[in-house]
Amino acid sequence: MPLGFKPGHRVRASRGRLSPFRTLTIALLAIALSAAAGGFAYFIPAAVTAFNATAQVVNVPSPSAAGLLVSPSPKPGQATQSQGAFTVLLLGSDDDSKFFADHVLTQSMILVRVVPATKEVTMLSIPRDLYAHLSTGGFGKIDGAYSYGGAGAAIATVQQDFNVHIDDYIWVGLLGLIKVIDAIGGIDVVTSNPVLDDYYPADVYGGDPYGYQRVAVLAGPQHLDGLHAMEYVRSRHGDLQSDFGRSKRQQQVLTAIRQKAKQLAPQDIPALASAIGGELKTSIGLDRVARLVPLAASFDNPDSIRQIVLVPPYTRGGGPDGSITPNWNLILPLVHQYFP
Amino acid sequence: MITRFLLAVGLAILMVVSGTTSYVYLSSRQSKAVAAPQKPTDPTPRAQQLTLPGTIYLAQSGALYSFSAGRFHQLTAEAGWTQPALFPDGSQLLAVKRSGLFSDVYVLTRFGNVTNQLTSNQAPVRSRWDTGANAWSFYPRLSPDQGTLYMSYDGPKAAGDGNFNVLMQVWGIPRGGTIRQGRSWTLANNYTGGDMQPVPLPTGGLIYTKYSYDSNSNRVGQLWYTNRAGSAGKALTSQAANCSQLWWLPKARYAPPPPPVPSPTPGGPHNGPLPTPSPTAVPTPPVVKPIQLTTNLGFDATSPLAWSG
Repeated sequence: MPLGFKPGHRVRASRGRLSPFRTLTIALLAIALSAAAGGFAYFIPAAVTAFNATAQVVNVPSPSAAGLLVSPSPKPGQATQSQGAFTVLLLGSDDDSKFFADHVLTQSMILVRVVPATKEVTMLSIPRDLYAHLSTGGFGKIDGAYSYGGAGAAIATVQQDFNVHIDDYIWVGLLGLIKVIDAIGGIDVVTSNPVLDDYYPADVYGGDPYGYQRVAVLAGPQHLDGLHAMEYVRSRHGDLQSDFGRSKRQQQVLTAIRQKAKQLAPQDIPALASAIGGELKTSIGLDRVARLVPLAASFDNPDSIRQIVLVPPYTRGGGPDGSITPNWNLILPLVHQYFP
Repeated sequence: MITRFLLAVGLAILMVVSGTTSYVYLSSRQSKAVAAPQKPTDPTPRAQQLTLPGTIYLAQSGALYSFSAGRFHQLTAEAGWTQPALFPDGSQLLAVKRSGLFSDVYVLTRFGNVTNQLTSNQAPVRSRWDTGANAWSFYPRLSPDQGTLYMSYDGPKAAGDGNFNVLMQVWGIPRGGTIRQGRSWTLANNYTGGDMQPVPLPTGGLIYTKYSYDSNSNRVGQLWYTNRAGSAGKALTSQAANCSQLWWLPKARYAPPPPPVPSPTPGGPHNGPLPTPSPTAVPTPPVVKPIQLTTNLGFDATSPLAWSG
């Protein structure tokens, strides 16, 4: 054995060193993997939030037989099979500390029908004080349906009373709307009249859920952040049309949100998801959300968005407990026309 | 040839750097739609550097700015300032300072220093439990002789009345006087947004925007005229025209806007003869190509700009 030679030494030396080609390959692979990991880390919170918020299982109870004002709702899928159209019930709630979680009133209920083939959208605002037959039994203001039985009860109530089929629902809380609008950088709206309110609830950031604040959203084109957009859509005391007036404003803000959302990039999704966290629930699955996003972006004609508010003679005041009495003889043909 | 240990260390560092860079890069690629507007005074290239005659005063994010000789200057801190208006002689500025519950009218120098407070709209201490006891003042303007302050104002109000009707009417008060010396010049509709944006005329009357609902339940604005306090006024435009936010260009350099054409239907009850601007044939205005002066500065569009021509 030659001097200085140890058995296995050469082998160990070859294992400890790599050729430049192999080193370069490994380095490139490491860079690619770590870059992908960085991207994964960027998007994973959004994915988790989206996973938690979407595909909510909703139990829609069958309409009770007693006291039905209208015929039973159409069979699921009957309306939706034509041209891929679908109907979503948007629900907006005060979810501050005045209310128990999941027992909130739905201050805003908007039926939205989307017809992808013709790129038409119809929004119908349901007055929150509408005196209706609730799916949970008995009669009352329709905004109570959600508080008695959650989204399922709200959907069943609207289905049975308006004789429509609802495919999905989206629920958003007060803070959720504020954060969403802030996350997309605010919205641009043209306010037709000043919106003034001396007794607007200071329940979001005021600390006292029973306190008040003043609101003055002046007329004209303007950029609204989340808080001011919320004031704009929620205030009703200074409006001659009260809930009807703010329903119109809610539809206007929804349209403005959609318009602004079209300017967003995929990189904005994590911030948006972080803002939404816990303040939005929907029965729409993630896969369908992915399909709907490009669809929504393709709706670029504002004239194709139809906005309906059930002002008199479709409704009239003076119902029990300050409720609004529906004129079903007028409402149902209207609903049938736009939500076939 | 390098050792495996060195390679492992190098790769670990490379991966950390690469992963972090990827994350930071994605964060930095968020759309500009989400970005807040720039401050006008930020030293960034503008869409077009254009030198206009005189000085323009405008508001962004609660601060007043002046724009002269192609440059912006911040006049006040971001503290609720809005709606700057020049004195008729151009010597000083009126502006509104808005807080959460009330707003007041101030006199400022053209460099933004406050010299006088003209209104006091915060509820008295004994009434502060009632948010409705506060008042708003918006759109201040001085009469041509600078002796009267006109503004949209929803007071005076008593605490505890619980009235949901926020009745914004055009008030006139002697400059330097109190609201008790003032009078309402208009009679606003209830629950509509009221009467806003008074423009005092050299003849002594006022043109203002009256908000109301039309027969189709749409909220609309109309230009109205009144020549004395307490008058019901007269509509100058129809509801269908949905006019609002009247603004005069400096007369010296620019053609004034055509006079409003009175509505064919009388606007409302009034006492005595009312000298309205006479309807004249309005020539077709020439097509003017707008020139963009700024980009992404997010000026307060409910705050009319003031322009000393």
